[in-house]
Amino acid sequence: MRDDTLHEPGQALHVEDLTVSYGTAPALWDIDLDIPPGVMCAIVGPNGAGKSTLIKATLGLVRPVAGHVRFLGHEIGAMRGRIGYVPQRHSVDWDFPTTARDVVEMGLYRSLGWFRRPGRDARARAMDALAELGMQDYADRQISQLSGGQQQRVFLARALVQDAPILILDEPLAGGDASTEAIIIDLLKRLRDAGRTVIVVHHDLTTVQSYFDWMVMLNVRIIAQGPVRDVYTPENLRAAYGRQLAMIAVPEGGAV
Amino acid sequence: MLADLMASQIVRTVLVGAAMLGAISGMLGAFAVLRRQSLLGDALAHAALPGVCLGFLVAGARDLGSILAGAFLTGALAALAMMLITRTTRLKTDAALGIVLSVFFAVGVVLLTHVQATGGAASAGLASFLFGQAAAILASDLWIMGGIGLVALGLVLALWKEFKLVSFDADFARAQGFPVTVLEAMLTIMVALAIVVGLQLVGVVLMVALLIAPAAAARQWTNRLGMMVALSALIGAGSGAAGALISATTRGLATGPVVVLVATAAVLVSLALAPGRGLVWQALSARRARARISDGRILAAMQELAEAHDDPRYPAEQGMLGAALGKAPAPGQFDALERRGLIRAVTHAPEPTPHWQLTEAGQRAARSEEDDKT
Repeated sequence: MRDDTLHEPGQALHVEDLTVSYGTAPALWDIDLDIPPGVMCAIVGPNGAGKSTLIKATLGLVRPVAGHVRFLGHEIGAMRGRIGYVPQRHSVDWDFPTTARDVVEMGLYRSLGWFRRPGRDARARAMDALAELGMQDYADRQISQLSGGQQQRVFLARALVQDAPILILDEPLAGGDASTEAIIIDLLKRLRDAGRTVIVVHHDLTTVQSYFDWMVMLNVRIIAQGPVRDVYTPENLRAAYGRQLAMIAVPEGGAV
Repeated sequence: MLADLMASQIVRTVLVGAAMLGAISGMLGAFAVLRRQSLLGDALAHAALPGVCLGFLVAGARDLGSILAGAFLTGALAALAMMLITRTTRLKTDAALGIVLSVFFAVGVVLLTHVQATGGAASAGLASFLFGQAAAILASDLWIMGGIGLVALGLVLALWKEFKLVSFDADFARAQGFPVTVLEAMLTIMVALAIVVGLQLVGVVLMVALLIAPAAAARQWTNRLGMMVALSALIGAGSGAAGALISATTRGLATGPVVVLVATAAVLVSLALAPGRGLVWQALSARRARARISDGRILAAMQELAEAHDDPRYPAEQGMLGAALGKAPAPGQFDALERRGLIRAVTHAPEPTPHWQLTEAGQRAARSEEDDKT
């Protein structure tokens, strides 16, 4: 049965005409964006390019002045709980009196419904998610006693436990150690191979080619989008980063 | 003596009232503190003063119902003003808080003096809302406090996981589709109710302490939210009861401020003594962690420096030895080595810092230390 309310159901994420403005200058201008299902996509761009704003606008956390967003054809309201969101680590107070497993269980609160408390089943699922990230031994630790990389893994476990078809991560590798980065990327690649769509705000251009197969280059406007081998070109990098580019590795030749 | 005290109807009422108020504000204050909204509580409390006066003017008498309704109303108005200022202007939260607090309080004081000058004898008691007047509490007021306390407790229990999530990570909660604004408003309204309940006893000026102090003390003793909220309510109730008893046994001690002082004492004790987070505990564990550097390693390091400088009597600076060892030895350790005749203190002008030099015995000891190692 065809659902007439669906718009662009073939895209994991479809964004059209999206414009966000904080005060005078637009933070995002006229964004048209399509990310197909089953890819691992990096969103890259210089500081202030609006990467986090783009993510927050698609999730409805920032109100756009224009444009619309669809996930698998649905409006965000119909997709709540089916999108795993990993905010920036610094967006919360890690001295909050709670444990790692408790934070992961928060990913299940919505599916539990009102008034119900997480029980044995939620506990087991949270432990599984922690184990996926090698954090099972830290389940009962107060979260301020974890290292930055471990906190990042707890945040990812909270999104993972939802079993969502789409994952959106805001700088999950910032401030982490090398082993955390390897664990997270390995897990994200497995999720991608299992058919999930993984969208990551990424700050390190040198690893884009080895980690991702799809990318969006952003600097307030969309500079380029598509498979990494088509998009990661000197022209596009120059267009996105301008003067900052001198400090960044430029691929040799045209397409890599 | 306690039995005599408890026989007094007034003392009993004040005691129960103060304990209930402490429990309510302790429970709700825990969420306010974790959400970094303790100062919003202060603004709400001060903003209640104009409402108290308006309530009096409307009712034409010292009618508690209309006075508390007025207090709640202007408190809510202040919260709304705060929200509008931070959303529509570039002022940060602390500045907005300061402005709203002082404007509402100023209006309150102006109204208060005006009412007192024109309102006759009935208005005389209004000033007690500034610092509270415990004796004014009636047994019937306890039912109102108990009712509000039960409603707050019921809501906190029913919406426990939602309140927890919103307090920890509001963005994530919103992305999950929770009505974050409604949940946050509920928490703020409950704090406002607790403040209104406390006005008679503690007054607008000191009320915020009853929100912050029990929560701050409780946070020191536990790493679980449930435990923290329960402890906070308990500390609040205990402070209320203790404060009421202290002021009842001593002539001329106002109940509200004494309750606040007891709660603050609980904070001080918790900050100092709580295991894990307490200052004393942290100082002790820091000392334990400063593992004693063996005498042998100090001598070996001095020997190494002496060899590098081709001078067996090379004066090594104390700070340099610390850097070489990766960790500064305790100052007493050098003195102990000197008493054993292994090193001697020397000056090395123009540096004013302590320097040490190996003695003959020290050189022998250092060499044997190296032999042991190989």
